[in-house]
Amino acid sequence: MEDMYHADRAMSTQQDTKISAKGVQVYYADNHAIKDVNVEIADKTVTAFIGPSGCGKSTFLRCLNRMNDTIDTCRVEGDILLDGEDIYDPKVDPVQLRAKVGMVFQKPNPFPKSIYDNVAYGPKIHGLARNKAELDEIVEKSLRKAALWNEAKDRLNAPGTGLSGGQQQRLCIARAIATAPEVLLMDEPCSALDPIATAQVEELIDELRQSFSVVIVTHSMQQAARVSQKTAFFHLGNLVEYDDTDKIFTNPEDSRTESYISGRIG
Amino acid sequence: MKTSLLKLDTRTKKRNAAEARFKAYGLTAIIIAMLALLILLTSVLGNGLSSFRQTFITLNVELVEDKLDKSGVRDLEVMSKVTTISYAPLLRDALIAELDERGIENPLSNRDLGDMISKEAAATVRNRVLANLDLVGQTITFDVLASGRIDAFFKGDVTMESAVLDSNTSPEALTIAQQLADVGVIETKFNWNFFVWPDASVQRPEAAGLGVAILGSLYMMIVVLVLALPIGVASSIYLEEFAPKNRWTDLIEVNISNLAAVPSIVYGILGLAIFINFMEFNQSSPLVGGLVLTLMTLPTIIISTRAALKSVPPSIRDAALGVGASKMQSVFHHVLPLAAPGILTGTIIGLAQALGETAPLLLIGMVAFVREYPAAYTPEAGLFGEASTALPVQVFNWTQRSDPAFVERASGAIITLLVFLLIMNAVAIYLRRRFERRW
Amino acid sequence: MRRTLQSNEDLDTIMLSLTTPLLIILALAVIGFFLAKSRALQVAGGDIRGLVSLPSQHALNTVLATIVPPLAAIFLISLYVRITDGTGSWFFTLVVIGLAVTGLALSLISIKQESRARTYAERWILGLLIFASTIAIMTTVGIVFSMLFETFNFFGQYDWRDFFLSTNWSPNFRGNSDLGIIPLLWGTLYISFIALAFAVPIGLFAAIYLSEYAGPRMRSIAKPAIEVLAGIPTIVYGLFALITVGPFLRDYFASPMGFGESASSVMTAGLVMGVMLIPFVSSLSDDIINAVPQAMRDGSLGLGATKSETIRQVVVPAALPGIVGAILLAASRAIGETMIVVLGAGAAARLSLNPFEAMTTVTVKIVSQLTGDTDFASPETLVAFALGLTLFVITLGLNVFALYIVRKYREQYE
Repeated sequence: MEDMYHADRAMSTQQDTKISAKGVQVYYADNHAIKDVNVEIADKTVTAFIGPSGCGKSTFLRCLNRMNDTIDTCRVEGDILLDGEDIYDPKVDPVQLRAKVGMVFQKPNPFPKSIYDNVAYGPKIHGLARNKAELDEIVEKSLRKAALWNEAKDRLNAPGTGLSGGQQQRLCIARAIATAPEVLLMDEPCSALDPIATAQVEELIDELRQSFSVVIVTHSMQQAARVSQKTAFFHLGNLVEYDDTDKIFTNPEDSRTESYISGRIG
Repeated sequence: MKTSLLKLDTRTKKRNAAEARFKAYGLTAIIIAMLALLILLTSVLGNGLSSFRQTFITLNVELVEDKLDKSGVRDLEVMSKVTTISYAPLLRDALIAELDERGIENPLSNRDLGDMISKEAAATVRNRVLANLDLVGQTITFDVLASGRIDAFFKGDVTMESAVLDSNTSPEALTIAQQLADVGVIETKFNWNFFVWPDASVQRPEAAGLGVAILGSLYMMIVVLVLALPIGVASSIYLEEFAPKNRWTDLIEVNISNLAAVPSIVYGILGLAIFINFMEFNQSSPLVGGLVLTLMTLPTIIISTRAALKSVPPSIRDAALGVGASKMQSVFHHVLPLAAPGILTGTIIGLAQALGETAPLLLIGMVAFVREYPAAYTPEAGLFGEASTALPVQVFNWTQRSDPAFVERASGAIITLLVFLLIMNAVAIYLRRRFERRW
Repeated sequence: MRRTLQSNEDLDTIMLSLTTPLLIILALAVIGFFLAKSRALQVAGGDIRGLVSLPSQHALNTVLATIVPPLAAIFLISLYVRITDGTGSWFFTLVVIGLAVTGLALSLISIKQESRARTYAERWILGLLIFASTIAIMTTVGIVFSMLFETFNFFGQYDWRDFFLSTNWSPNFRGNSDLGIIPLLWGTLYISFIALAFAVPIGLFAAIYLSEYAGPRMRSIAKPAIEVLAGIPTIVYGLFALITVGPFLRDYFASPMGFGESASSVMTAGLVMGVMLIPFVSSLSDDIINAVPQAMRDGSLGLGATKSETIRQVVVPAALPGIVGAILLAASRAIGETMIVVLGAGAAARLSLNPFEAMTTVTVKIVSQLTGDTDFASPETLVAFALGLTLFVITLGLNVFALYIVRKYREQYE
């Protein structure tokens, strides 16, 4: 009975699979960092990756938009499908992929340019605006979505590095959504922020779910519980358990998951 | 609206083309830089390697008593008055005899034939005779230098065609030389003397060597090492370990980084004004050269020493202070020995820079023509006070002479200089690899 | 002209009068070393645990107290003698030896059980360290004064307006020379411009390629090879210009295109100097590009920018102040470079736009005016000091500005 119920719920939330990973292995030189991970990430959902430091959650996240390509020694095996297309297919240009799968990093990293130029950077390189007016519109829309418009509208030409930490991170989110991605990857986006800024960003993430599929790596279990609908627990390069967030935090199946969320490992 | 990842859109194609172009620019830049290095080295090697070989004529010279010692008493003082002018005909006669014996046709005048032998040869023979007076009257076999043109002929720099236009040689002379070479009287062999002999006058490039220049450079390096290392290390220790942070030390810091970028010729002006005009040290002396190079090298040594001191972690200092050592003791007993490899490497690199430096030495008179080996100490001139020249300056000197044979010498001197630099840098790299410590 | 060995007899007397006192001081120091050691043991009654400072520290203190003051006195006295143009006298010798003896005696007397010899010795050493660090300052002062003094002399004999504003340079040993700096500055700047136009793009692109694109194999070959260019003395570049580049440019470019028949030219010197500057620009830019945080690159790549877009639009703009500083430093190098222009640019002062014509620079003229056999007090010689001072001021300005920019840039990312 119970199993049936769970299967039902899983069915209902996994209608639209956005990203599906099958048998993914990642090696750094000789180090086997990700071991045979299978996961299906749903559209218009927030999926959280949790696990102790060095468990591979960030590495796996970076596989999803091929940011690992920039590391010479890194090697990825297995299939990762975005809308049914293998993103590691030789015909795929990572540049085009990353326009669809945007990323927000651990530390806010605004470019040393104005706020406007930071947000306009993506649309410009991808050619998303035909004229200045359209570009202005994209910038405004992105900043509004990132809940930064009210704070930034009067100083769009001020350098992005002059904002506070939380504002900087929201600027980076605005920058990422300006390219109209389908998936947004977030690598511990709040770890460098104070609690108030964290709350703002978390609220923002919840809103972003309307438009994107969001994948967030976090080391804070509370954060995962607060913002995500699905949670994956990584341990030593293995995907130990992947299920609805409620289930993971109330009734985990694997003993390692239980140990981690109850604070015994990690 | 939805586009497939598997198909490149036109914009991406364009962007990828831009990417490839950009990458190609970078690669081109690297290739140009490497090519420049390659051309530079082949140019110098191609021009200079031949200077390590020299053409010699083997002659049986009859040391006629009538010409060399008319009195017949073998008195050194009397015989010293006989100049090389009396020796030259003996060599020429020996060459004529050699030609006759081998049956080689000789259309040349005596004077032109004599010109095939280096003007240095007579001096060589004279020195041998004066060293051993008993040789007079005997017939002795000498390996004497061939003239510069004959030498250049065997190195391919003088041809029959060019000899027609050359007042210093003729196709006939070259024909004779070729025939002598065929029978083994003329030989081109490795020339150690290039590193030993002093400079020679414009007429005899074949006898010019680097002896004085190498000695002068060596003296200057000694001065630089003895002065720059202790002063550099001492001031680095002060600035890095003891100096309070204030305006004065800020001034010293800014000052040192600026001194490192002052054009070297300015140091030459300093040397001329302070050491020669004001302190009245001897012009052209390795002492003044060494002092100028010391001031030039100091910033390099200070900067690298400070980096070496900085890389020793504070925990070492704390540990020493913790067992009751004074600040001074912690520095001299612990920090300095740990920083020593870095300091040494920096010093060697500084010395290598100093060894190749030319411009300031021109201004303090080291361009002078010096044939006497400078002594390290004489009561009259003091320590390193005798006139000298230096390796890079010798190169410059030779480039200023009209005879093209000196260009070959200059390139040879450059090769010698580069080999010294290579050795010094190799030692520095070895030291760094061997003793480098990562904290 | 300059005083030579023969006419310089007071030097001999000073040398001789220095040798004896130096030997005496050294002997006193050696004696002091052993005396202090044994005396320290003696006051301790044979048990060094009773001493505040070790015997060796007492010995060190004694040696330093014996040597340092007389050496300082010798230094000051010889400066005094030089300035007043006098000669050494027995009085000075007495002062020097007296100082040594006093230092020895005082330090020996002060040896007691509770005396802190280590502190005293360390004070001497700290003094020596401070002295060493002021030598850098003294060098700068020496540079400025040596040139200011003679430049002043020069402007006493030659109108400064003519020097700075005349467009004609033709020194004449019989007097009445035209000594205008403008043609020399023109040559200097023209050559430096060509050198930078060659070196900056190549050095910058090489640095970008090596730090952003090249694999470890490529880097391990190309980086040292470019650094070798930096270790080659300038005289080698000069010879390269003289025997290879100059004739090549003349035979294949200048002569066929009708630009002139001169092997030494602005182009020859400029190109060779450019090669010399490549490693300078590339290693400085390399440092600066590497200082741009990786997070910045990730941010751009994560948005789907290509590598070159990231470099051109994020990395280079972020590194721009540092790169500008590096270029200014390279410019200062080019302006002050001597041997390449002496051998490659020519000696004729000329105001021309043709890059294949021989022109000359400030540094070439400093060398030629100071190595000729002219009267040392004549304006033709003294002008070299005015040229040197001009050169020093220009390069100093560039350096200070460049170092300021680079430092500011570094602080931004620390």
